[in-house]
Amino acid sequence: MKVILHDLGLQSHEQLLTKCDEALFADGKYAPCQGCFGCWTKHPAECFIKDKLQKACRVLGRADELIIITKNLYGAYSVPIKNVMDRTIGASTPLSTFRGWEMHHVLRYKKHRLMKVLVYGDITDKEKETFTYMVKRNALNDGYKKTEVLFFTSAEEAEAAL
Amino acid sequence: MKTLFINCSPKKSFSASSYLAAFQRLFVKGEKVTKKLRNKTDYAGMFQELQDADTVVLCMPLYVDGLPSHVLAFFEEAEPFFLENGLRPNLYCIANNGFIEGRQNESLMRVVENFCQRAGINWQGGVGIGGGVMLNVTRVILMVQAAIFFALYLISGIQTGKFWNTGYLAAFLPNAGVFLFLNAGVISFLLLMGLHINKASFFGKHYTRILIPSLVFVPCANVFFFILSLFQGGLFRGWLAKK
Repeated sequence: MKVILHDLGLQSHEQLLTKCDEALFADGKYAPCQGCFGCWTKHPAECFIKDKLQKACRVLGRADELIIITKNLYGAYSVPIKNVMDRTIGASTPLSTFRGWEMHHVLRYKKHRLMKVLVYGDITDKEKETFTYMVKRNALNDGYKKTEVLFFTSAEEAEAAL
Repeated sequence: MKTLFINCSPKKSFSASSYLAAFQRLFVKGEKVTKKLRNKTDYAGMFQELQDADTVVLCMPLYVDGLPSHVLAFFEEAEPFFLENGLRPNLYCIANNGFIEGRQNESLMRVVENFCQRAGINWQGGVGIGGGVMLNVTRVILMVQAAIFFALYLISGIQTGKFWNTGYLAAFLPNAGVFLFLNAGVISFLLLMGLHINKASFFGKHYTRILIPSLVFVPCANVFFFILSLFQGGLFRGWLAKK
């Protein structure tokens, strides 16, 4: 399953829907994670906050290929995108194991094939380094076999590259 | 010199970040203020405190290899605030994550450093701590034990009329010793960072952890989540199922 997570806007969302199996528009109209671990310990793979991200981890967890289109913010994801990622840790289980000689959570779903991140907006060389490093960390954490990080000056360019 | 400690945990109380902030406060001289950053309603008070802060110490949990989204949102507002007001405080960061390796906080540290560069403030480094959740659990256990021992001491004192009784203290001390041992790495690095905060000097990035071998820590973490899920009911609601 190909999933696109983006912060591009509603108009782009309609377009992106035609290019994947599931598209998640990170519009920021949802609450941030409260760090309660309830999506692991109380109601697995479901957040206690009743908004559009309540069961979003089930979509990201099933992605074979995840494409994230995000604005750069200090070498990290934009706030709405990071909010989605924080609220979807239910895609893994509370149990831990060793992966890449480090402690990580056991995945709830199978391993994923590709995590592709398209970053747009003003970005410094150091932020590019940070972003590339962070995506590799995300891939290890979430069980992605391959990563790709591409940088674009504008959102339009990033969208067109798909 | 004023140091502002910002507890960035979204939790109302008993967070690992609040515990680490409290520890760091012990090693810092001068005026000290601690504020919580949980949501947008905290911004106004935070900006007021930042006006005359010489040093800022951010204490936060690692969320998905980065900053919690509500902290990133605050950074977006703080960047123009620092630039427009010409403020250049020294910034230090204490990050903690649930995994055992403190180094897993590296990407968070890099993002904070990038923020400092954009906002024109002085990045002075920080400590990345592994096993933050477990350290916090040891803190809570020690507090409960201390309360129990103190209650027993009081009851025995009232019953016997003898308050000079070191038995309970002697029974409590080994527990405190274990706590101090597990926290030794964290305490050492926070002490060192405190010295740098007091001198307003560059500390750099350092990583430490709860002093337990990884092979012991991982099963302990699994048992912890098993018990938590048992009491909260998740264990019976498709705990590991592909939902």
